[in-house]
Amino acid sequence: MSYITGPDVVKYACSCGLLKPISHLYFCRYCFQLRCSFCVCHEVDSNFCGKCSENIPSSEARVKKNRCGNCYVCPSCQQELSTRIASKGPVNPEDSKSTPKKMYYLSCQFCRWSSRDVGIPDQSTVTGGWPERENVHSNRLQELVDMYKAIVLAQKQQKDKDKKKQRGKFLSYTDRTGVTAAALRKRIGLPAEFTHPILKNKPKEPEPASAKTEVDEVPEQLLTEPINLMEITTVEQRLLQPEAQPVTVDKLFPVHKQLSIKRSLRCRHCEHNVSKPEYNPSSVKFKIQLFAYYHIPEIRIVTVEPLRAGKQCELIVKFTNPTQHQTTIAFLKLNMDEEDASLDSEVAEVIQDLDQTLSLQEKQQMSLTSLPLSTSQPSSLISVPSRQPSLTIEPRKISQEVNCDIEVPTSSFILPPRDDAAEYDDSGDTHNIQDDPKLVKWRKSNKAFIKLNVTPMSDLALNSEVVCGFIMQHIYTNTVASKEPQKYNHKVKVFLRLGQLVGSE
Amino acid sequence: MELRDINYNKSDYVETASGNKVCRQTVLCGSQNIVLQGKVIVQSEAIIRGDLANVKTGRFCIISKEAVLRPPYKKFSKGVAFFPLSMGDHVYVGERSVVNAAIVGNYVYIGKNCVIGRRCTLKDCCVIEDNTILAPETVVPPFARYGGSPGTQIGELPECQADLMVDFTKSYYQHFQPTKLI
Amino acid sequence: MSRNNIKILPGALVCEESKLRGDITIGSGTIVHPSATIIAEAGPIIIGECCLIEEQVKIIHRLPFDQQNKENTTPVLIIGSHNVFEVDCTVESPKIGNNNVFESKCYVGNKVTVSNGCIIGAGCRVTEEQILKENIIIFGSKCQMREGLDRPGLQTLQMETLSKMIPNYHHIKKPNKKV
Repeated sequence: MSYITGPDVVKYACSCGLLKPISHLYFCRYCFQLRCSFCVCHEVDSNFCGKCSENIPSSEARVKKNRCGNCYVCPSCQQELSTRIASKGPVNPEDSKSTPKKMYYLSCQFCRWSSRDVGIPDQSTVTGGWPERENVHSNRLQELVDMYKAIVLAQKQQKDKDKKKQRGKFLSYTDRTGVTAAALRKRIGLPAEFTHPILKNKPKEPEPASAKTEVDEVPEQLLTEPINLMEITTVEQRLLQPEAQPVTVDKLFPVHKQLSIKRSLRCRHCEHNVSKPEYNPSSVKFKIQLFAYYHIPEIRIVTVEPLRAGKQCELIVKFTNPTQHQTTIAFLKLNMDEEDASLDSEVAEVIQDLDQTLSLQEKQQMSLTSLPLSTSQPSSLISVPSRQPSLTIEPRKISQEVNCDIEVPTSSFILPPRDDAAEYDDSGDTHNIQDDPKLVKWRKSNKAFIKLNVTPMSDLALNSEVVCGFIMQHIYTNTVASKEPQKYNHKVKVFLRLGQLVGSE
Repeated sequence: MELRDINYNKSDYVETASGNKVCRQTVLCGSQNIVLQGKVIVQSEAIIRGDLANVKTGRFCIISKEAVLRPPYKKFSKGVAFFPLSMGDHVYVGERSVVNAAIVGNYVYIGKNCVIGRRCTLKDCCVIEDNTILAPETVVPPFARYGGSPGTQIGELPECQADLMVDFTKSYYQHFQPTKLI
Repeated sequence: MSRNNIKILPGALVCEESKLRGDITIGSGTIVHPSATIIAEAGPIIIGECCLIEEQVKIIHRLPFDQQNKENTTPVLIIGSHNVFEVDCTVESPKIGNNNVFESKCYVGNKVTVSNGCIIGAGCRVTEEQILKENIIIFGSKCQMREGLDRPGLQTLQMETLSKMIPNYHHIKKPNKKV
């Protein structure tokens, strides 16, 4: 329940230092690290319209400015417009055979706005051919866009020409060594970019915008006549059409619906996908789904005794093993101060590192070598990848404060693998697991209820939020890429919000 | 948080062979047109209008107190027809919500006090937050979180939403137990 | 409130499971769905022709506190014709004209007079003392207002279908008044 609506009481620390509920985390099977939406690469897989559930090719989406060609939203309340039929009487009433003509108009079912409100004539086809509004400034904008395009083209041509010149009759020395003129210039400290003295086909510059000195006077009726709020648009309505920004409601015109996207997520370290959805817009299945919810044991709070400052109280948490392999869970003490210290020094080193490399090879390909490269596929990285370069983000400090001591159990416990058939098995559990009765209260198939003792710090104020944390160490069985499953110890920092502190008695 | 047990009075509920638990204080009109696929909970004072058109729910659906499931109508030039309302598996409908949708997909969560307008389509894996008013004929895409009045997309859902909903509805069913007499 | 005086004109469809209390007159062609509630607390309620009253609707005739002391006159709540009350709306308005639509879960307080052709959007709460002009549409969480071009379309087609279907499934209260 809490994953769907309520507050997130159990949070896991991602490898980047952010705290997220397990449902929002990913687990990269290649790096054995938790990842979250903040520290993975987002790539757009496909564009689709949420209303008509149709995939739209990215080229078409770009032309249509990421809007659906067929679906419209209401300019008055931003809801989807639906097409209504209005049958018009026969063209000539004498001819009894002529059928009534069907005419279509757009109408909003929420605020009852319709295309007739603003005088758009009804259309004879379902899909419309609704008149598109011309932007009053479109000529000017087009002029500017054309100019920039021309500049890009000119520069490209210039570059090509320069290259051709170099590859003249003789083999240049720089060709062999890869040292280009630009790199040389950089090395000897000249400005990297210099404008070519003879830019022959200089693009035509449009007229610069001129400032207006005379402004229309404030119309007097603004002060004398009472305003009718029903005729004036709201800020939301104006911002929906930024190019027109209508002031009165009679200038509201239907707007094309914005497209949604499906995206795949990629681990920045190893460039493997952690999530890749199916192509079909209405599908909820995934081709690749490395979600933490499927790999990391889930922790839920079952009950907490009333929390009193400085008093020990009992906390029952439920552990669930989502994997097909047995795992063993152990607890380690979370020491925030130590953690911070080591992290600080690490970060400092990295920054120093970065500074050095940056000063050495200024602006040159964003210091690829200084980044921790994965050894598996460095070639693809160096050959200037077309996709977003993997920039790794150094882990940040965990900002969560812990104000509750936890008695870390010394013994570990076993969680059996998940078994979907167990749900229908009424014969009872026949696990022969030797449990520490002080730790494990009760277990059922792949779940175990664990008793922990926590003590809120004695200097806590009343009603303050009590948070405890520990490190969960579990055995992760990796089945990828090798014939034999390998087992790893994986550690995750977990933070539990236990609720508010109550009075001492 | 783990769900707590939800207790009900055993004499108030009817349990069918397929595991449906239906409260006696509900208004099920045209019950021959209502199909509950099994392990469905219909709580007190819920209204299901099977008299207007067929209503079908999937497995593990929860219809909370005073919720209304009402097949939508559509106008034609020659009259009005009521369309069946079909609901997928693992759907939760919160208290006092009115569902006028045509299709509710699988793994859908509808909060408290919502209005789902006529002939809406809720695709798989979407969440409608409490007090949302969805305009008629709205299509809610997968993995969208809708809220407000009029309902608009206010967020996204995690990719494992389907499993979260399965877990939620199943554990709700497991925790929905008759009060034990001592 | 023990005195129930329900007058149902011929042609009206009133389901047995609806809750009617007080002095209520229901016009012909009006359909009252099961589990709708109509309470005539302060005085009689007269509902016009061809109104559609869906389930969980609450129509309550209740006076504002400052008017409750005037006992010399018993106010009558007159609801015009062709009004639609959708699922779970609460209407306490002292006067309602014709062709209005009260959408799902709207709330209209007892100081609001509704004229003709108004639409109170789903989930809107209208409580401030006012008279809604004709063809006003209220919608959204901020109860935004706009003026419609036209009155909302009539629901006669839906009511025709309903009047055929409902008697097959529900017990109907017999009309007890002749025209």
